[in-house]
Amino acid sequence: MPAQPLNRICYVEDDEDIQKIVRVSLERIGKMTVEVVSDPMVAIDTIKAFKPELVMLDWMMPGMDGPTLYRMMKEVPEVRDLPVVFITAKASQRELDELRSLGAAGTISKPFSPKELPVQLRAIWSKLP
Amino acid sequence: MIPSSKPDSAALAAPARGADARDSADPQRVLADRVEQLYSQMPLGIVVTLVIGSIATYELWDSRTRDLVLFWWGLVLLVTAARAALYVGYRSSKGKLAEAAQWLRWLGISALANGVNWGFAGAVFFPSHTDEQQVFLAFLLAGIASAGIPTYAASWPMFAIYAGAIVLPFTYVLATFGNRLFAEIALLVPLFWLVNVGIAYRLNQVFYAGYRLRHAYGRLTEDYTALNRKLEQQLVELDEAQRQVDASGRKLALFAERAPIAVLELDSEGRIQQINHAAENLFGWTSNELVEKNASVKILIRPEFHADFDAQWQQLIASRAPVAHLKIRNPRRDGLEVVCEWNVTPLVNTEGGVVGVIAQGQDITRQMEAEQLKKEFTSTLSHELRTPLTSIIGSLQLINSGVMGDVDKEVAELTGVAERNGQRLLDLINDILDIEKIESGKLNLVPELLTLDELVGESLVLNKGFAERFQVRYEPRGTLLPVQVKADRKRLLQVMTNLLSNAAKFSPAGEAVQVSMEDLGTRVRIGVHDHGPGIPENFRARIFGRFAQADSSATRQKGGTGLGLAICKRLIELMDGKIGFTDREGGGTVFFFELPKHGAA
Repeated sequence: MPAQPLNRICYVEDDEDIQKIVRVSLERIGKMTVEVVSDPMVAIDTIKAFKPELVMLDWMMPGMDGPTLYRMMKEVPEVRDLPVVFITAKASQRELDELRSLGAAGTISKPFSPKELPVQLRAIWSKLP
Repeated sequence: MIPSSKPDSAALAAPARGADARDSADPQRVLADRVEQLYSQMPLGIVVTLVIGSIATYELWDSRTRDLVLFWWGLVLLVTAARAALYVGYRSSKGKLAEAAQWLRWLGISALANGVNWGFAGAVFFPSHTDEQQVFLAFLLAGIASAGIPTYAASWPMFAIYAGAIVLPFTYVLATFGNRLFAEIALLVPLFWLVNVGIAYRLNQVFYAGYRLRHAYGRLTEDYTALNRKLEQQLVELDEAQRQVDASGRKLALFAERAPIAVLELDSEGRIQQINHAAENLFGWTSNELVEKNASVKILIRPEFHADFDAQWQQLIASRAPVAHLKIRNPRRDGLEVVCEWNVTPLVNTEGGVVGVIAQGQDITRQMEAEQLKKEFTSTLSHELRTPLTSIIGSLQLINSGVMGDVDKEVAELTGVAERNGQRLLDLINDILDIEKIESGKLNLVPELLTLDELVGESLVLNKGFAERFQVRYEPRGTLLPVQVKADRKRLLQVMTNLLSNAAKFSPAGEAVQVSMEDLGTRVRIGVHDHGPGIPENFRARIFGRFAQADSSATRQKGGTGLGLAICKRLIELMDGKIGFTDREGGGTVFFFELPKHGAA
């Protein structure tokens, strides 16, 4: 379990409505600091600048999907070690298992409950080494 | 007489066709025929005995030997009466065939007795009578003895015994008479006897061979008749079969012609021999056009696939095995394409050669389009509908949870309604997706070793919210057992959630919903006991069907999609279990499911 509590989160998501809900949920209920990225193409730069403790990736995004972005992150030294949680609506068990084996910290399935989201994230955080 | 207990095995034996005719005669039947022949001579023999016996008695009668002649005549009458009785016994017997040997023995005894009578006459009366009477006696004995030849022709030993009994005592008397001439005759008499026995023996052989031939012929005739009947029967059957083949051939042709599916008849090279109406309509070519063009079936295949087709065709001809469910995109005459599912059947003759190929094609273009649409629809449901719902429900949840600050009470009520109904819509979509996944076989279970009391406990905690909403409480009934099962954890929890939420919905406020576990040996049963109104009679049969709800007004009040139990049933069955319900004593219902215990046989 990491020494400090989970505070800074970067969320890559193209849907502005969901961005808003996640932001309210994490800021108001979870009392966290959240940076949202709409465009996955610039996500890595934003993450480098924001220096989050954890990154949330949407699975399905136009232009580039979550898993592709995740693999790209693995190529960039500054961000490669950040824990990543996938938000997904349709991933099959096989795909989830594959991502776990690649090193994803966890998955949260859509639709998620904004009330529960901070609890779910902290549960994943507490299980990290 | 001892009736034979042996079954008439000869009658049961199968006819041995092709063996030597004489060998195929049944020995028992031959014997019975001989016995019959011997007995048929008896009435004549009896009459002759009585006539000659009377004459002899009359001739030999004089005062000196009166008692002896009377005694002899009495013997003759006695033996003749016994013979007559034997004859009558034989005639009325039902065991002539089976007991032939027995009848033969009795006849032998009677022949001996008859012979002894005449032998007695010769031996006793010859010495004591006049010369004339002696000549009479000699003639009489010679005649009586030789009459035995035809009488006993069917059994030479019988003749030998009979004639022997007559002439041997007489020979002894002649030999010891003290007259030279008589002594010389005494030498001749046994010789005559031997010659007569020889003749009887030869005659007997002739009779014997005759009987054997008769029986062999009889059997051959029977066989021949049976064979002939069979042949006629087979001809009739063949005729009928031919008629049926013709009829079914015509029927088949009619079927092919009128069938809604395309039927192509090809030769072993793939050239089109004939196509039916449906094929003409589907592809735009007439049968005659294709045949006149000497067209290959490749006319219905896109050129870039011709090489593939040739390889597959070779394989088809080599293997001679039918190929089914072959989906091919076929170009039509007008350039458009249809997708067909083909069943291809090589026609193989009795020598194993391929004489042609029948290809049956069904136009599945529409079906493919429908499948594609369904796939797209499912994908839309899964993503495009769930994403906005996530936003709607999420927003409402945030408002209703109070993190956005207090809202007016009436507004809060309305946003509560919106959230609940949004959730219902989401549940419905999830249930439809689940059913779709299960029925298309795309649901992959992830079985793991689960300890059931822990899983049940977890389900009670997870569904606490439900209990609170309907003001009931979940509690274990009795002890929960630490039984292990191999099952999909997430899906088993889904089943528990379904059963628990149903029980909560239909139980009156303040009641307890109880969960029980029961060890059934190789299986374990989990029951959810509610205090609801019970399942209406007319709903019981379809309760596990899709969109099954007893009362649609209940749906509006309490939520639920009507798919929950259908999903539960399919999930439990995928885990090799079964699901059902019983009435609870004192009202209410027990829904239960059973799973095989891990490690139990």
